[in-house]
Amino acid sequence: MAAFYIALWGLAALLGATAIAALVWAIRRGEFDRLREASLSIFDEEEPVGEVTDRFPGQRF
Amino acid sequence: MSSHAETIPPAPEERERLTRIQIDRSCRQTVVWYYASAVFWLLVGTVLALIASIKMHTPGFLADWEWLTFGRVRPAHLAAMIYGWGSMAGVGTLLWLQARLTRNRLPLPTLLPATAVIWNLTVTFGVIAILAGYSTSIEWIEIPPATAILFGFCIAVIIAASIRMFRSRESEHTYVSQWYLFGAIFWFPLLYVSAQIFLHTPAAAGAVKAAANWWFAHNVLGLWFTPIGLATVYYLIPKVIGRPVHSYHLSLLGFWTLAIFYNWAGTHHLIGGPLPAWLITVGIVGSVMMFVPVITVAVNHHMTMVGNFHHLKHSPTLRFVVYGAMCYTAVSFQGSLQSLRSVNEITHFTHYTIAHAHLGVYAFFTMVMFGAIYYVAPRLLNAEWHSAGWIRVHFWTTAAGMAIYWLGLTWAGWEQGRMMNDPRIPFLDIVKYTVPWLWSRSAAGVLMTVGHLAFAWLFWNMLRKRGAYLPGPTLLLRKGEPAAVAAGGGE
Repeated sequence: MAAFYIALWGLAALLGATAIAALVWAIRRGEFDRLREASLSIFDEEEPVGEVTDRFPGQRF
Repeated sequence: MSSHAETIPPAPEERERLTRIQIDRSCRQTVVWYYASAVFWLLVGTVLALIASIKMHTPGFLADWEWLTFGRVRPAHLAAMIYGWGSMAGVGTLLWLQARLTRNRLPLPTLLPATAVIWNLTVTFGVIAILAGYSTSIEWIEIPPATAILFGFCIAVIIAASIRMFRSRESEHTYVSQWYLFGAIFWFPLLYVSAQIFLHTPAAAGAVKAAANWWFAHNVLGLWFTPIGLATVYYLIPKVIGRPVHSYHLSLLGFWTLAIFYNWAGTHHLIGGPLPAWLITVGIVGSVMMFVPVITVAVNHHMTMVGNFHHLKHSPTLRFVVYGAMCYTAVSFQGSLQSLRSVNEITHFTHYTIAHAHLGVYAFFTMVMFGAIYYVAPRLLNAEWHSAGWIRVHFWTTAAGMAIYWLGLTWAGWEQGRMMNDPRIPFLDIVKYTVPWLWSRSAAGVLMTVGHLAFAWLFWNMLRKRGAYLPGPTLLLRKGEPAAVAAGGGE
């Protein structure tokens, strides 16, 4: 019985390990070096910061 | 880049615009398939939910046919909602977000729509099997295990598509939503496969099976629906209001703490059960640690919205998404508190838990998915939603319905739990006490059904392009621009 609890716990640990491995990978790749640029990466010239992109149909702004 | 705009056509704005049209169009077939299927399952799940809810206060209702007994209808409702509506809306949104965030076209144009078809067949088989009495009777994974291979195939294709887009991405930054999406698609298969092995093979039996069951079930919420929901919120709130997320640092802290803590929380479902105390304590610690990502995400979304709350009046997407984000905070706070032994001994095995589950899957995830579909579908189909009025009906009936549902069952569940802990109160008195609140649940269910019908009607008209035609990549009319051409039937 105990072996299965430990196996289950090990599985959870494995899942946690994937998260930590991904975190280390991300730090090494410099993913956290340019945070401002990353936060702006969803905007572009056509839909820049300051542009509202959703309205009820038929509404103008 | 803008200095070249005058000399080199096409202008950067035009290039961006073309790219976005191409990206959105590349998603059309796959994502519309997933969304349309999701809406269908939402209706199926709603009917099953109503039947189950009415049976709770009127046990004779449809009791003569074994296919519609409570023990079958309720898990069929869960399967239709989780694997039909929730997962299909989630996968549709996930693929569209991946395409947008990597600035890539959606690859595998034949395989991906095929996965939608296979997914539908699998859920259809699963729901019918449950109604016919072939449920595995393990909560959240009632669909017979034979379907695992089909789900597995679909997920494998979705992973392949995501990796392909990510590897050849045009954007040099990884946006916070992408972390969440990758979390979802890598963790879910791991969970699903492990759960199948632990639950359907002789490897585990008895109390171990329960532990595996709740580790899986809780993680489906936390590592499948939650990351897809939060990825959507992190993309759509900034995108709709046109303002970057308040603190990008916090957004990353929120993701990595969720990634590290959530997976431990599942065993809090078994507090008081015949399991080793350490296993449960680990679950409680994991649940309480979840305060870190939750507070982080809540503060961040609130600060992003500060000064922009007036947009809620004008944007359907924002309404649904912000409602969902607020409920994420609420449900997570509630969840952490519920995992404490002192609270759990009252709430466990009561209607309180049902209210909590719906606050998570409905008020948070489903509402965010509604918001996403309102944003994405017009961009895929180049058509406007045909009626603002029906969108308002959808929002207010579902928002109010959910509030009534939650308030009624939370109150009833708490009182029910307190009474059950008092041995002097006869059990039947407790059952009778809950009946009016169960009626309030059915009333709330009717409200939500009205909302779902409104939504299905809107989506049906979107598929038939009954709304105004949109020539451009966005659905917004600017002052002075010619009005969009009505394609008939629009307002």
